[in-house]
Amino acid sequence: MWRLNTVHHKAGRAGSSLEELKLKRREHEKALRQARRDRQLVSKRLLLNEDEEQPGSPMDTNSGDQVVDLFGKLKHGGQEREAHLKALSKALRSPSAQLTFVKLENSMHLLVGLLSGSDAQCRLQAVRCLHELSNSHHPNVVPACLPATPYLLTYLSGQSTKFTELCLYTLGNLCPDSEVVREKLLAQGIIPALANCIQNQRHSLAVVEAAGFTLSQLLQAKDAAEKVIPMVLASGLPPHLLSVLTPDPQFGLAPAIECAWCLHYLTCSNVDNRLLLAHGALARCSTLLVSLGDAVAKGDKEGGMELLVWPLLRCVGNLLSSGPMEDLSSQVGDVSLLAALCALLQAYLHSQPALARECAWVLNNLTADSSVFCSALLALSLVPGLIQLLPFSQGINTMVLRVLGNIAHKKKEHCVQLAQCGLLPALCATLKMADQEMVTLSLEVLFLLVTSSPRVAEDFVRQSGLSLLEAIQYNSEGEVRLRATHLLEHHLISHHMVDRVTSQ
Amino acid sequence: MLQPEASDYLIETLREKCPAVDSQLKEESEEDNTPSPFSFTPQRIHLHKDHELFEDGDIHRHLYLQNLSTSEPDDKPKLSVSEFACHISGCSQLFSSVEEYEHHYNSLHRHVCCSCRRSLPSARLLDIHIQEWHDTLFTVLAQRQDMYQCLVEGCGQKFRTSKQRKDHLIRIHKYPADFRFDKTKKGKGTRGMKSEQQSDTAMEVTEDVCEVMCDTESDQTEGGEAMEPHSCAGAAVHQAISAPAEMHSDLSAAGHGATNMSTEQGRPRYSYRVPKNVCFGQGSVRGFRARGRRK
Repeated sequence: MWRLNTVHHKAGRAGSSLEELKLKRREHEKALRQARRDRQLVSKRLLLNEDEEQPGSPMDTNSGDQVVDLFGKLKHGGQEREAHLKALSKALRSPSAQLTFVKLENSMHLLVGLLSGSDAQCRLQAVRCLHELSNSHHPNVVPACLPATPYLLTYLSGQSTKFTELCLYTLGNLCPDSEVVREKLLAQGIIPALANCIQNQRHSLAVVEAAGFTLSQLLQAKDAAEKVIPMVLASGLPPHLLSVLTPDPQFGLAPAIECAWCLHYLTCSNVDNRLLLAHGALARCSTLLVSLGDAVAKGDKEGGMELLVWPLLRCVGNLLSSGPMEDLSSQVGDVSLLAALCALLQAYLHSQPALARECAWVLNNLTADSSVFCSALLALSLVPGLIQLLPFSQGINTMVLRVLGNIAHKKKEHCVQLAQCGLLPALCATLKMADQEMVTLSLEVLFLLVTSSPRVAEDFVRQSGLSLLEAIQYNSEGEVRLRATHLLEHHLISHHMVDRVTSQ
Repeated sequence: MLQPEASDYLIETLREKCPAVDSQLKEESEEDNTPSPFSFTPQRIHLHKDHELFEDGDIHRHLYLQNLSTSEPDDKPKLSVSEFACHISGCSQLFSSVEEYEHHYNSLHRHVCCSCRRSLPSARLLDIHIQEWHDTLFTVLAQRQDMYQCLVEGCGQKFRTSKQRKDHLIRIHKYPADFRFDKTKKGKGTRGMKSEQQSDTAMEVTEDVCEVMCDTESDQTEGGEAMEPHSCAGAAVHQAISAPAEMHSDLSAAGHGATNMSTEQGRPRYSYRVPKNVCFGQGSVRGFRARGRRK
């Protein structure tokens, strides 16, 4: 069972200062980013024992010998097996001990035997051992665990929740390591087993969370689009995933988070979004975003909420681009999603700018092909707030400017309203930015504005727009110069001449 | 863009029938066949799993999976603000605010003499510079009349020679003898930027400047006609940022018109050119003055 461990850093290891921990975390983050760039972003989860608060540092010195010793004892059987297994699972926390164990002849055979035996306590301890082994990143360890998988899968339909949880996380840890492992698991029926699990064990949210995690591991794989996703879509999982999305107030966000990420991997692959739409995915995710946005607008920002917001945003964003807008807009529901997105954007702007950027992306997908949503943004007075985002870089301002461009593109009246919201002075600033994409986009939006009505064009001229454009005629980019010149010569020409006359 | 005669005509037309001509002009411009370079169309964007836009969110997720998330706000600020930049080709200086940019632009690019590329600090000084240095008519008149204006605004006095003006500036207005904007022009106006720097060792530079340089296209040079506006074909500076450039303007003409200067400088040296149809003449940017602009 996972809780967002908010006091993790305070209960830090003896001797580690806060600074050290932060440094470690930053380094770790860097490693993750590189892994993602290499398409090797893999995470495993270690379920802690009840008596543990957090993974302690493994006592590496003895573990190898301990393991050999314990294995020897286990081979002889007897009443002490459970105790030995427990000791073994603790010893297997150490990476070197893990390697030692899998190299011992018949070690896995023994473990599997205990896993499938009649002693329930031994089964539990055996699965703990396997769980520790599954957490390994060493290429020799995980494949060694394969003989256990048919049993792990079988036990998924059992009734012991703690046991099932362990099986699930073990399977989830085994998934990402290699294609061979995944193929075996798929052949052994992991997808129907997971589907059954989520469906029949809804009463245990810890199990649902674990199943969601395991499914997300499968879905994240490189070859998922061809091998995994079609099976998942056919399995009847989507509606169950959707039903888990609403967070349980007592249990917390964790199961919803896992299922939302599963849905994200499904939607971004674009294998069959119509199926997901048919199950109401867009409607469900939108509604949830609206309630989260409402909560945030009221100042009720729960810790870790962004873990749920993030995949929901992506589902909505990608589902919105998977069909004709007329069909989709009814699923989105009413325009309250717009206000929710803006609220989320503002709330996370400083703490998670990337999330704010993704909110803007969803706004783009909502407004690009829908005049209803464009008009609504104006009517709900959300535009001034968006204009204030134009100073922020890292992709936020370019996306926001696209949204404003979408609005301007629909109707001339929109342009007039945008000008009234103060877009012209904002553009006069964005036209001077270092980011050439911003400059080009700004010229595009400016073009829409000044050609919409003479009044807007006059306003622009009054704000020293002409000299600004004249300077842009010397921009280093040809495309930019071309646009500035075109504006001056064809659309501001009368103002241009009048201005010159009056200024002399 | 427009030839000078046409622009005069247009001004006249506007003065007569200002309101109506607005739409008329628009219609005319739309009838001409120049394709619009504007291409923005709203479009929905689909992002695949490994898209870079998703990176931060994925990292956040995996930090959570590995139990490394922390709800404690990180000390490093994550949100960043766009910088501003001077995009005049070759300049590429960066600024953290619009005000800084404006200051840079107004100081260095706004009042630039098109003929000799010097940057002047104000429109008035630019006017005086152009008049005294690039206007052959001025040279002719100066032989018979007091043409050298006092640089102090509001004074109004005029002098027969630049030396007399300088003396006046020092005696009456207490200007320093080495006032930057009243240096005597040394030699003929054929020096390129580099040689001018080397010869004038007494000159100081207060700030990194970027000179916007104009070069005439050789096929458009009109012989000797100082009154005519010409288009400048390039506005690029190759060594803009680090090279100290001149801030002074020589206000006394050495008797050579701009024509000589520009033809001798006519070697192309810029990486790109401003479109031919950009007008530097009467109707154009206040800062980019052509020679002998009519008052």
